[in-house]
Amino acid sequence: MRRLTKGEGVTGWIFTIPYLAFTFVFFILPFLWGFLLIFSEWNLISPVREFVGLGNLIEALQSRRVHAAALVPFKIMAIFLPAVLIMSLGIAVLINSFKKRQGLLAVAFFLPYLASGVSMSLVVKGVVSYTSPVNKTISSIIGYVPDWLGTPSLAILVIALMIAWRFSGYYALIFLSGLQSIPNELYEAAQIDGAGRIKSFFKITIPQLYPALYSVMILAVGLMFGVFTEPYMLTGGGPNLATHTWYLEIYYQAFNTLRAGYASSIALYNAIAVFIVVGIVRRIMQAWGRAHGWED
Amino acid sequence: MLTRKWSLTILLVCALVFAVGAAAMAKSAIFWTAPNPSQEVFWHEMAKRFMAENPEYNIQILPMAEAPSSEATILTAIAGGTAPAASENIFIGFGAELVQSQALVPLDTMPGWDELIAARKMEEAIKGWVFPDGHYYILPIYCNPILYGWRTDILAELGVDGIPETYEEIIEVGRLAKEQDMFLMIRPALVMPNWWERWFDFFTLYDAIRGDVPFITGSEITADEDAVLDVFQFYYDLAQEGLILTQEVPDPFQIGMSVWIELGPWTFPGWREQYPEMVYGETYTLTMPPIPEKHRTDAAGNTFADAKGLVLYAQAGQEEREAVWDFIRWVFSNPDHDLLWIETTALPPVRDDLADNPVFAAYLEAAPYLVPYAESLPLAVPPFTHSAFADIQTALGEEGLIPVVRLQKTPEQAWADAKAEINRILSR
Repeated sequence: MRRLTKGEGVTGWIFTIPYLAFTFVFFILPFLWGFLLIFSEWNLISPVREFVGLGNLIEALQSRRVHAAALVPFKIMAIFLPAVLIMSLGIAVLINSFKKRQGLLAVAFFLPYLASGVSMSLVVKGVVSYTSPVNKTISSIIGYVPDWLGTPSLAILVIALMIAWRFSGYYALIFLSGLQSIPNELYEAAQIDGAGRIKSFFKITIPQLYPALYSVMILAVGLMFGVFTEPYMLTGGGPNLATHTWYLEIYYQAFNTLRAGYASSIALYNAIAVFIVVGIVRRIMQAWGRAHGWED
Repeated sequence: MLTRKWSLTILLVCALVFAVGAAAMAKSAIFWTAPNPSQEVFWHEMAKRFMAENPEYNIQILPMAEAPSSEATILTAIAGGTAPAASENIFIGFGAELVQSQALVPLDTMPGWDELIAARKMEEAIKGWVFPDGHYYILPIYCNPILYGWRTDILAELGVDGIPETYEEIIEVGRLAKEQDMFLMIRPALVMPNWWERWFDFFTLYDAIRGDVPFITGSEITADEDAVLDVFQFYYDLAQEGLILTQEVPDPFQIGMSVWIELGPWTFPGWREQYPEMVYGETYTLTMPPIPEKHRTDAAGNTFADAKGLVLYAQAGQEEREAVWDFIRWVFSNPDHDLLWIETTALPPVRDDLADNPVFAAYLEAAPYLVPYAESLPLAVPPFTHSAFADIQTALGEEGLIPVVRLQKTPEQAWADAKAEINRILSR
């Protein structure tokens, strides 16, 4: 490989500086600042900044609210992951089956992703309201109106499905590009060997979608640790902390109780949780990929 | 001889020097308004008039950012050394946080404080705004006493004579409403953990019984525990009999699905557009919060005050502080300015004489629903002063009121749990 000349190296650095500066100012500095805050009890303005050592980290470990926040992503994930995979794959297959106007259809399904979480929450609030047509229908069948946002399991269901609705169009685009890269010969060969459409889907399409599935799984699992707008707007984290997410707790501690150090320690735990869970999902996906002939 | 071009240049330079010099000599200050367009309009108008009368001042009015919250915006500004000389939109709980951080100037140490309080006729109302160190750090601007609305037209249909005043009478009305497939009250926020909701569902009722006994004093719970239990028991009874609904219903009171609701004065301008059939004195009326029958004779008879005021920031320079203080004194020493305030914002100014002062008579005549609010101003109790206000009220909701409304705890158990959690917070 040819070594860069001195002039080329300088040019490279010049082109890189804006991004490096951005990263330094908006990621590295805040990270270091947040890390330092962990060891203090401070509201950002008080002349007294109390050094508390590991106090904030220990308090967070013992907090009922943090325990709830650590559990909620998994509860949402249990509904969200299957829902979003089925919906996005379904959308991708549907769009792919059209010979024309695929772009237009893709944009239509992508729109919910662009809509603001606040406005979508208001729509959902209307849908699950006591007097909504949905609830009137349900009540005529089962005899009562379910308390969608007041029952822990139903509140989780509503939030998980709402996020799935929002992201399925986006993930469908990733799946669509994966579908379009599967060689048609594979399906033709399977057809000659007597495989039906369902068998082809599970034996060819799904394994061939591994790169797309890998990306979607990592994105979707990571997303679960950053849920904020939907529970903030719909449930406030209730009932009984059933929808209290990491970001709700960080926001509450930082901007309601004004405990910057404590909020930073929760943010650190949040980062560790994301790191571990995404790491596990990555390994599971890689193992699945290897089992289907893909290399790491 | 100077050319035309040179003459023009010299003239421009002179004008620039004069303008810069004048600006430097002016008594300048920055004032942040609440992120509410109508309040912005009021303050811009006030600054314009003040500077017209006092050209040596330069008061700059800027709205504070709303995201993530006005409190966070103020904290960030102070932390970054960019706080204004003064701002409005401060409630007493957040004020306590700022006082603890030595970020505010005690207003009673500023020249003319006593005269200002006398001129604005707020000798009674200001009493609730004193901080534990005996100083006043917030000048209350507006106060929204929380009152209860009753659908009088529906009460008449239910055969109810008069407006219920006690818990027992309300439960009776609730039963009658239930028979007609209505609810007494529909309030999803009753089971929402958001700390501010406790102002409206808990403190409004607590203040009606024992508004003269502070909930927190210093770092101790000083609440009248019997009153707390009375409030919890009331909600427990309502929930047990199925008289309240905690699910979302758009405008339940207006559409006649419920007969009772807590209301602040900010509600009514929206009704004029959307529900013109809601007419004060015809379809609905407003009352002070209810009390238990046993306290008919000894209840404090207060209500909760959703009130905010303005503060001076210690970070500002002496001259800037004095300039903005002169502006503030000018604004609030004239009742006509308070009239403009209520006309522009529909928020009742904190004045003991709001209901009696002839300056406001015409306005209140045109908006009769505001009269009960004006009359209850002296009875409205602001929130308690503690910097951990959010944690305390969250604990009161999560451990206390919400499990009571959900019938998961008895009132006694709920208060014991809430008290233990609040004590833990206070000892932090």
